[in-house]
Amino acid sequence: MSALPVRDEPAVPELLPKGAPLLEVEHLTMRFGGLVAIDDVSFVAGAQSITAIIGPNGAGKTTVFNCLTGFYKPTVGRLTLHHASGDVLLERMEGYRIAKQAGVARTFQNIRLFPRMTVLENLIVAQHNHLMRASGFTFLGLFGYRGYRQAERDAIEFARAWLDKVGLAERADWEAGALPYGAQRRLEIARAMCIHPTLLCLDEPAAGLNPRESAELNSLLIEIRDREKIGVLLIEHDMGVVMEISDRIVVLDYGRKIAEGTPDQVRNDPTVIRAYLGEEEKDELPGEIARDLGAGPGERG
Amino acid sequence: MAVADEALAGPRPLNWRAILIEAALTAFVVFLLTIALVGADIVDFSDTVTVRPRLNDVIAAVIIAFLGRIVLVLLREGRNRIVLATMVPLALATFLILLGGSLGIGADLRHLLPFRDPVVCWIIDGAMIVFALRALWTMRRAVKVTLSDEAREARADRTAARVQRVARMIGPLIFVAALALPLTPLANRQILDIGTLVMTYIMLGWGLNVVVGLAGLLDLGYVAFYAVGAYSFALLAQFFGLGFWTCLPFAGLMSGTAGVLLGFPVLRLRGDYLAIVTLGFGEMVRLILNNWQSLTGGPNGISGVPRPTFFGLPLLPFVPEGHESFFTFFHIPFTPEARIVFLYYVILGLAMITNLFTMRIRRLPIGRAWEALREDEIACRSLGINPRNTKLTAFGIGAMFAGFAGSFFATRQGFISPESFTFIESAVILAIVVLGGFGSQLGVVFAAIILIGLPEFFRELQLYRMLAFGAAMVTIMIWRPAGLLAHREPTLKLFGAKSRGGAK
Amino acid sequence: MLHSYEYLVTQLINGITLGAVYGLIAIGYTMVYGIIGMINFAHGEIFMIGAFISLITFVVLGIVGITWVPLAVLIALLAAMILTPVYGWTLERIAYRPLRRAPRLAPLITAIGMSIFLQNYVQLLQGARDKALHPVIVGGFEIMRRGDYTVSVSYLQILIVVLTVGLMAGFTLLINRTPLGRAQRACEQDLGMAALVGIDVNRTISLTFVMGSGLAAVAGLIFLLNYGVIDFFIGFLAGIKAFTAAVLGGIGSLPGAMLGGLLIGLIEALWSGYFSIEYKDVAVFGILVLVLIFRPTGLLGVPDIEKV
Repeated sequence: MSALPVRDEPAVPELLPKGAPLLEVEHLTMRFGGLVAIDDVSFVAGAQSITAIIGPNGAGKTTVFNCLTGFYKPTVGRLTLHHASGDVLLERMEGYRIAKQAGVARTFQNIRLFPRMTVLENLIVAQHNHLMRASGFTFLGLFGYRGYRQAERDAIEFARAWLDKVGLAERADWEAGALPYGAQRRLEIARAMCIHPTLLCLDEPAAGLNPRESAELNSLLIEIRDREKIGVLLIEHDMGVVMEISDRIVVLDYGRKIAEGTPDQVRNDPTVIRAYLGEEEKDELPGEIARDLGAGPGERG
Repeated sequence: MAVADEALAGPRPLNWRAILIEAALTAFVVFLLTIALVGADIVDFSDTVTVRPRLNDVIAAVIIAFLGRIVLVLLREGRNRIVLATMVPLALATFLILLGGSLGIGADLRHLLPFRDPVVCWIIDGAMIVFALRALWTMRRAVKVTLSDEAREARADRTAARVQRVARMIGPLIFVAALALPLTPLANRQILDIGTLVMTYIMLGWGLNVVVGLAGLLDLGYVAFYAVGAYSFALLAQFFGLGFWTCLPFAGLMSGTAGVLLGFPVLRLRGDYLAIVTLGFGEMVRLILNNWQSLTGGPNGISGVPRPTFFGLPLLPFVPEGHESFFTFFHIPFTPEARIVFLYYVILGLAMITNLFTMRIRRLPIGRAWEALREDEIACRSLGINPRNTKLTAFGIGAMFAGFAGSFFATRQGFISPESFTFIESAVILAIVVLGGFGSQLGVVFAAIILIGLPEFFRELQLYRMLAFGAAMVTIMIWRPAGLLAHREPTLKLFGAKSRGGAK
Repeated sequence: MLHSYEYLVTQLINGITLGAVYGLIAIGYTMVYGIIGMINFAHGEIFMIGAFISLITFVVLGIVGITWVPLAVLIALLAAMILTPVYGWTLERIAYRPLRRAPRLAPLITAIGMSIFLQNYVQLLQGARDKALHPVIVGGFEIMRRGDYTVSVSYLQILIVVLTVGLMAGFTLLINRTPLGRAQRACEQDLGMAALVGIDVNRTISLTFVMGSGLAAVAGLIFLLNYGVIDFFIGFLAGIKAFTAAVLGGIGSLPGAMLGGLLIGLIEALWSGYFSIEYKDVAVFGILVLVLIFRPTGLLGVPDIEKV
């Protein structure tokens, strides 16, 4: 594991070119006792691209995320995050370091904000590591060190910029728990961006959003890809979002990868269709049932 | 959401049969509860053990439970007038009889009271007054409004916020009052002693507030760090002859280190388990102090702990030749009160430093990280915050302040023993933090005054003090699970003035 | 003598007796934790109250003139098992039920408050001094001897083991074979779902407290018979040790509680016998810390996977 500087410096790091491999998942397997949740999954997420992981419920998508972000230790497999300055292996990294040093940010399926802290405070907490250093690990901060006060002001400005981007600036002093659902989702994404990540992992960001909010999410993610030049990996069920903005799609079913490619390729892949919609009926209906259903004999159900 | 009730349509008729059954069941439960422990007083003579019956108390308890239940049902059904009509005269009568009793008048009327013990009668009197007030309160509202839990929490939070805004002005006033107290004619030895004791607990409360209130770590063994501080100072003084001020930072350092060492293996445990483990640690420390006679003197403790000096000038009546004392230096005649006043100001200073520190640190990144950790540890991890180090910092800082307080305790008494560092102390400090409201600075002050100060005034209440503690903890938690004055003031705002002072 | 086989057997017998007490109390902790996920901090006080009620019953029986030992013990057992659970039931109704949806810290604090309240309640009513009972069950028989040193098993110890084993067996039967037991196991697994399929969740929880308190009451009776002296503070220490036993065996596991109780009893007896009696409590606390650090699920418990 290469020693990287802490990845929350506001300075723009050297970027990988668009499409170059950013995250490489190789032979990822996750076993819980006898249950195999993920079975030998490999895929690549590109830099400055949006990669979507889709699949029926129970396919193992969130498990992949949990392996990537340090909540589970993979049974087998290698997870490599490429930086311009070196590679990082994620599979054995301690949980919080994955965010702090590797620069992988994530959001959660069931939103995890700090509900009793304000919207602004949520974003400031995200910039914790940088501010800790600026406060001299608290000591200098206790005595009102000017450098820290400036750093705090900068952090507030940075947070404000993101609040503007997600349309929450007027509610900056609201309690985060008091926000409506869609706003909470956007706040969570903004908070993840405040750690200056290289890879942003979003777990079902469109869940529970109405069509207008979904469209706003789409533009936000495209902006993150194009303007911030961050790689995005997302789990999603909302095909409207997935097909609209993804550069590549990875399809999982029963813990295995069954397809990978561009949205067009995946859309027309028979394996994927089968996984989502089930097998076509190949047998003929028995005569009586066909008559009851009003179908002619020999027709399929 | 507030839901208007059927009071607009008029109260529904009372189902007396159901009410009487309900009351009877309550009375039956109370009977079962009291028949053994209340009904029989075990009396131990030298060669025999026998039982003195107290069945009158059982009967009284059962009857009062029966009647009390009926009153509660009446309140629930909105029959406020009946409640007032019965409670007010009864409460008044009881009050007068009790008052007379304590003043020595009308002793024969005492037979009318249900219990022999006046304190229990006072409690019943208090309950009647509470019922009456509740009836009055409900009557003044046109509509009986039932609030959901959320709405009640929100309303209580607004009240607490209002109190905190007022508190921001009251806080400095209280400080000035405390500062001036020894100079007023009000101050006698007893008052100053109580004040010193209360302020020690306030300091401990503020220290524990960092651990429990901000970081959300339930520490039931806080007394261990209090003890480490006290014993560090006492031992350093005993073996190296160092004075209070020299030892103070060492004591803090040792307690802080103890906090980090004890915290390291256990801070990843979840709430309940952490509580029990810290309780275990607290007890272990006390047992070790009690049994390691060669180092700590065991149950006899350490005596001869030196008193603090005023910039090196001891506050003693006599000093050896060639040395100055505080009194000779300032040409003031020696008074024993002077030392007490000095101690008072020392703890006042220490407490204020604790206060300033904790208020400040709440607005620094580490303070916010503590609160974030309390809200959602998993989210913190996903933001790159190291949960273990963050918790350890809280634990260590809390322990450090307990250590400072422990040193002060040692120097104030001049003598320490393991008896002063039992689990009950941890529970009391926790009660102060909880009752005051997690994270509320001013709440801790009020809670300490009520829980520590009041019983000192009413010496007869000593026996009931712990009973009241327990009852208060239960009651407050059921009524306001977040604490009395709990309201979280944000540490920074985008709009409007930056909050000054944070949660007071 | 210290290293003789006979001494070891004596300590083992002591340990088993102690283990019975801890095991019975531990079952209460583990059941309550399994069903509502909180540590009933005041459970130790229930044990203490059971001991006091037993004592009162014995003394009253003595005054009334019932002195035939088996009958007296039976009546005391019944009295304790009937009256003590009322405290457990009241505890749940007053202090825990209102806080079922409250943030995690709140029920723990009420529990501590109730613990303090009950301790002082008994102290106020019965006085702070120790209360002693003359030995009720006397006699035994020796099982081995070497020179002057005899190892004997008393009838009391036999009764304790029989009683404990019987209760635990009956209890296991209750949990595994009866509708109540099924309801309880359902509630342990998923409280919300249990309510949705029609289980009276409140009643099941109340009964859990009642049963746990009943067992703790028996532990109190045993303690009284075996040690002869009680005071209002015995619940605190016994409570923590029984909790250690529950954790050691695996919190949430009934056989774990029994196993844990036995182990803690043996460890305490052997430590007192062979090392130092002053630090025996430190040893038990130490075990608590070690178990929670290295194997928090205990010996028979099931690991909990964190779901994000």
